[in-house]
Amino acid sequence: MATSGYGERHPPVGAASAGAAPARPPARAWWSTDRFQTAAFIWPTCVFLLALTLFPFLYSVWLSLHFVRLTTLSRRVWAGLQNYIDLFHDPMFHAALQNTALLAVTSITLEVVIGFTVAKVFYELASRRWVNGLRSAYLVPMMVTPITVGVIANYIMNPHLGILNQLLGLVGGEPVPWFGDPTWARISVLIVSVWQWTPFMALLILAGLLSIRQDILDAARVDGARWWHIIHRIEIPSVLPVLLLGIILRLIEVFRFFDLVYITTRGGPGNSTMVLTLFTYQQNFQYFQVGTGSAAAVVILILCIVVTAFAVRLLRKIQDA
Amino acid sequence: MRRRRFSDTALIAAAALFTFISLAPLLWITLGAFKTTAEMIAIPPVWIPDFTYLQNFIDLFADYWPNLLNSLIVTVGATALALTLAVPTAFALVTFRIRGRNFIADWILSTRMMPPIAAAAPLFIVFNWTGMLGSLPAMILAYAGFNLPFAIWVSMSFLRQVPGELVEAARLEGATWFQVLTRISIPLSLSGIATVATFVFIFAWNEFLLALFLSNSQTQTFPVVISSFIGTGRIYWEYIAAATVVQCVPPVIFAFVMQRHVISGMTMGAIKD
Repeated sequence: MATSGYGERHPPVGAASAGAAPARPPARAWWSTDRFQTAAFIWPTCVFLLALTLFPFLYSVWLSLHFVRLTTLSRRVWAGLQNYIDLFHDPMFHAALQNTALLAVTSITLEVVIGFTVAKVFYELASRRWVNGLRSAYLVPMMVTPITVGVIANYIMNPHLGILNQLLGLVGGEPVPWFGDPTWARISVLIVSVWQWTPFMALLILAGLLSIRQDILDAARVDGARWWHIIHRIEIPSVLPVLLLGIILRLIEVFRFFDLVYITTRGGPGNSTMVLTLFTYQQNFQYFQVGTGSAAAVVILILCIVVTAFAVRLLRKIQDA
Repeated sequence: MRRRRFSDTALIAAAALFTFISLAPLLWITLGAFKTTAEMIAIPPVWIPDFTYLQNFIDLFADYWPNLLNSLIVTVGATALALTLAVPTAFALVTFRIRGRNFIADWILSTRMMPPIAAAAPLFIVFNWTGMLGSLPAMILAYAGFNLPFAIWVSMSFLRQVPGELVEAARLEGATWFQVLTRISIPLSLSGIATVATFVFIFAWNEFLLALFLSNSQTQTFPVVISSFIGTGRIYWEYIAAATVVQCVPPVIFAFVMQRHVISGMTMGAIKD
């Protein structure tokens, strides 16, 4: 072909005016343009997160509207809201809801109360450097693999061989059935959760306490404030935002509470330690009832959003006050 | 002037007691890892075992080294993937003047609330459909995804500390965003990014629920193996104790090394240390 392209008759602008115009930066390859890089930094992550959150949510909603088994997904029947109706008539789901709520309230309350005490002790000792070592050791339970916490609980709270009942025996106490009795199973789960999570609360509160300016405390003392005034009027208000943040993070965690009960009780005896995540797991992967399981998943997600949104709003209000 | 209401001795005793309560269960199972079967079921209990007795660990590694390897591959893979995606995104959200920046950041934070169980059945079905179910890459994808919001938010808190003038100067010199990221922002916040990486590593190492339904008998991670020890039939406690100790070594080291950063990490950078 004689005239093969645009460039032959109209030489490139850069080449023609190279001598006259100020030098321009060389044109960048497509992969180093701002436009491409801006997109490349953000979009893969967003797509990935959407695939992991929005897609499963929509898919769960769709599944929850069908009678369907995990093993025979293609044989599904439209169910409307029947799965949700069944769910709210299911005593096991009731137990899961109640136990999760009960655990959230009792466990977080205890963690805050004990955590505050522990934080005060470490706060009073904060000027000593070696206390840091003690603090590291103290926070170990919150980092330890949750599944091993369940294993250790099983080992220590074994009714016959467990060290806890043997120690009780040494001081003349009656052996405790721990995970073997409905009431005791709940108490045992509570004890282990509090053991695992109090360090988190304590260190959070400690961070709040350490942020109080010394001159404010000194001024209060000069004015004759007593210790309960200082706790009530200075320490609790300064710790409150941190504390609420801790409670929000713990609430998120309670909704995913699973490992401990999976290892120790599988929700039993009866349904005494059934919790939401375990219920959903069993529906999906043990009974293969993904319709019911997905309905439960949707309910969990909505509850989780409502509860944390409420807590976040409360936090914002307190921070602004 | 500061009057003390409690004596130092009482405070130190209290701190020691709290620490003891935190550590005692872990110490007790560690002692168990060095016991023989007979010692394990002895009444009254054997308090101090012979620490040169390593048979439990030897047996454990002989039987389950592939699972430890699975755990390691998934953990390292998930950490690498999460960081590769999170750091550029965090950089973009901190540096770029783009529309909807705060909205994207808040949305990413809100995905942190999503309980993994809510995505369990869809993930299972999709991985099954694509033939990835039971593979290590499937677990790496899932682990990395659920740790992304955390990694992005904490990385943002570190990247914000990089002086804006440096970024601007580099841009005036004609550096691309990628060059700014790799030559300036990452080197200057390297310790922060290392902190994020160790956190993600520990979270992935500790993960159980995802591994439970995404793995098969070949790809089981170590926590799944440990959970399978407790179930039907005779329970070999000395063996389980050894497995628990092995599983807990990384997080315990982490707790001591990262002590200063644990709170700021667990609150996703909301609290500075």
